[in-house]
Amino acid sequence: MRIRDWATGYLLILPAAAVLAAFTHLPIVRTVRDSLFSRGSAIRPARFVGLDNFEALAADPVFWKVLGNNLAFALGTVPASIALALAMALLVDRKLKGQGVLRLAYFLPTMLPMIAAANLWLFFYTPDIGLLDQILGRFGLPGRNWLGDPATVLPCLMTMTVWKEAGFFMIFYLAALQTQPPELKEAARLEGAGRWVYFRRVLFPMLMPTTMFVLINAVLNAFKLVDHLFVLTKGGPNNASNLLLYYIFEHAFAFNDLPAAAALTAVLLALLAGLAVTQFALLDRRVHYR
Amino acid sequence: MSTLELRGIEKRFGAARVLERLDLTVASGEFLVLLGASGCGKTTALRIVSGLEEASAGQVLIDGRDVTRAAPAARGVSMVFQSYALFPHLSVAENIVFGLKVRRVARDERERRLKRVAAMVGLDGLLDRKPAQLSGGQRQRVALARAAAAEHPLCLMDEPLSNLDAKLRQEMRAEIRALQRSLGMTVVYVTHDQVEAMSMADRVVLLREGRIEQCGTPADLYDRPATAYVAQFVGVPPMNVLALEDGPRGAVVRGGEPGHAVVEGAGEGLLLGLRPECIRLDPAGYPARVEAVDYHGADTVVCARLGDQRLLIRVAGHFVAPADGEIRVSWPFEAVHLFEAESGRRAALPPKPAKGNPQCSVV
Repeated sequence: MRIRDWATGYLLILPAAAVLAAFTHLPIVRTVRDSLFSRGSAIRPARFVGLDNFEALAADPVFWKVLGNNLAFALGTVPASIALALAMALLVDRKLKGQGVLRLAYFLPTMLPMIAAANLWLFFYTPDIGLLDQILGRFGLPGRNWLGDPATVLPCLMTMTVWKEAGFFMIFYLAALQTQPPELKEAARLEGAGRWVYFRRVLFPMLMPTTMFVLINAVLNAFKLVDHLFVLTKGGPNNASNLLLYYIFEHAFAFNDLPAAAALTAVLLALLAGLAVTQFALLDRRVHYR
Repeated sequence: MSTLELRGIEKRFGAARVLERLDLTVASGEFLVLLGASGCGKTTALRIVSGLEEASAGQVLIDGRDVTRAAPAARGVSMVFQSYALFPHLSVAENIVFGLKVRRVARDERERRLKRVAAMVGLDGLLDRKPAQLSGGQRQRVALARAAAAEHPLCLMDEPLSNLDAKLRQEMRAEIRALQRSLGMTVVYVTHDQVEAMSMADRVVLLREGRIEQCGTPADLYDRPATAYVAQFVGVPPMNVLALEDGPRGAVVRGGEPGHAVVEGAGEGLLLGLRPECIRLDPAGYPARVEAVDYHGADTVVCARLGDQRLLIRVAGHFVAPADGEIRVSWPFEAVHLFEAESGRRAALPPKPAKGNPQCSVV
């Protein structure tokens, strides 16, 4: 009976486990293995080279630049999009006229495909005739090649990403806000807590589980999003806007250097796993789950 | 000196009138209970006092100061919510001193008050727990402690015991009362449970559809209900209210024997009020027919029919109905209440019991 019980259990998770193994776990193992082999060709088969591929990466100045870009991209987009999401959620959580329309408006960027959104922003950033330059032109400011200038290209991408992501995270905050019992706010008000004290001492701590979830997703997204690079910059100019995932794509499909791409992927995976573990370890104790 | 005064408070939600011209004065140190069925406006009245709701008209005075437009925190009131409204992410101690911290009460003063109220409500040893680790009764105590720690003269309680089981509720009734007395707090307490009102209140205000039906001590409400509604709201089981009609010798219970007068004079348009505990079985009394028997241990509530009216009778001990269901009942004349059928208002009693009543000549 007991054997049949666990056999049934394993049979039930088998389909999902099989799909996960075939499309997630196996490719990870293969990638890590490939990263330890040299590039093979018709005459020379791939051979085990140990950590040579990783050494090559470490010696590649572009890799360090791309990694730095990506960290800056994460630091620039994650806190900003979370703060904006929370602010928007607080704004539309109240009873307002046209509340539904407002919520939809905030959520709209999330519904747009990234490619479409990137095309839209391409028009904003176009030198001289783009929206941004036209507005600045009204104030007598000169036009600028926003996406062509290594100094401005990454901030431009970050702005667009924050715009795109905040609406999505707002939905989670809005859902969490709507489960907050109104008596807590009333009790805090009676105790003399103003809006800010209520937010800092009561509401924000109560939203911590949501913040935790949103934070982990936002960090992952900062390393996972590349669609906009294809449309806007292709990583340029001079790798100023290149991000890890796009760099992997370039190695694998443009430079046809699969072992280097595999090594990069292994680095990215380790980085993401490390970030997720750190976040859990640092924040989980501070999060109050009901 | 009065701590709280309501003058002509009105509240409308759209077209719905929730409170109509509510006038009320609460003396310092008084335990006042706002009693009423759900939807009678009692919670709304409490929220208007607290400032969480704004009155459509009228004035709220606390310690003689007009606070009608003042913010909740500026009124010097504390409140205990039905759901306790504890902050789930804060420990018991942090919950209790939350308001003191917000109001920047000095640290040692906070510690002193925390120690004092924790001892009073029996929370020693639980101060580091989170609300989720407490039982319902303990959470209620934390809410009480938070209200007591504020040391505001006026404390509002919104059905604080309704989420507790019956046994705990009884204990907490006594504890809240003791806490209120020892702190000298003025309490306005909202409940729909007339047992709570009767056992705790110095004074009860019975609300019905946004109006005060009666205001008085628990004994006033029980002994001299101003309306048939009050009569039936207070007391378990509720007072019997029987329709009367004219009879040749005086008013009779509708559908009853024409000769069996219960009070002198006309009966049409009047209601007879009788507490179930004032009725006794009496071989010389009015004939009634038993319909159901509800045994409670210490007593038995007998549901019978007198004329075509339903009558509840509380009999001590275990009552077994006779096989044919026929019983005879009587009551002392002092137990009789009369109400006008139309307005429900208390009517003047005739000076004497009905004359020439064959069964009930001596009562």
